[in-house]
Amino acid sequence: MVALDRVFFELAGFFSYTFFAQFPITRDFPWANLLLFAAGGICLVVGLFRAFGNARAYRGKIFGPILSTLAILIFGLFSYVLFYELRQVPPSTGAPRVGQKAPEFTLSDQDGRDVSLRDLGSKSKAVALIFYRGFW
Amino acid sequence: MIQRYDLLHRGAGPKGTDIARPAEFLIDSSGIIRWVNLTENIAVRARPEQVLEAFEQGEQVTPQ
Repeated sequence: MVALDRVFFELAGFFSYTFFAQFPITRDFPWANLLLFAAGGICLVVGLFRAFGNARAYRGKIFGPILSTLAILIFGLFSYVLFYELRQVPPSTGAPRVGQKAPEFTLSDQDGRDVSLRDLGSKSKAVALIFYRGFW
Repeated sequence: MIQRYDLLHRGAGPKGTDIARPAEFLIDSSGIIRWVNLTENIAVRARPEQVLEAFEQGEQVTPQ
């Protein structure tokens, strides 16, 4: 049972991102999660030394390596998603730049009426155009 | 429209469908783009405060 609480940190580091992602400071770069992983890593190393140093008392020679591997896999998955998969955004070299004229468009509003960029611009000071990635 | 703005993210939607990559534009009343945010990380997008700040800065440059 000694090693289980070590893996807890790694699990906490992994799943708590859904909580920390609500705040910009911990979402844009996952500081809090990396700290939890670091705490888990230190505990794992200490635990492994104990397990192999006094295997009879802790009975950790089998569980130690298994749970350590599990913890490393969890950390690996977290790093893969956060530092690789989320950054797989295609470059958009053709996207309009500052100073250029925004391409004209007409879309339906919530009532089904057509709204064009020109209409919006003539009625207001500025138009914020947000491309939202969500599909849910 | 997504293609016109070159913001297509191929195969990133459910079951490999194409969706838009996140992007934010601020366009003035004459249709000129004043501010653009193209993120490199889909978890990091422009926050409402950033858009408002960009709007206020744009107002200071060209008071109407």
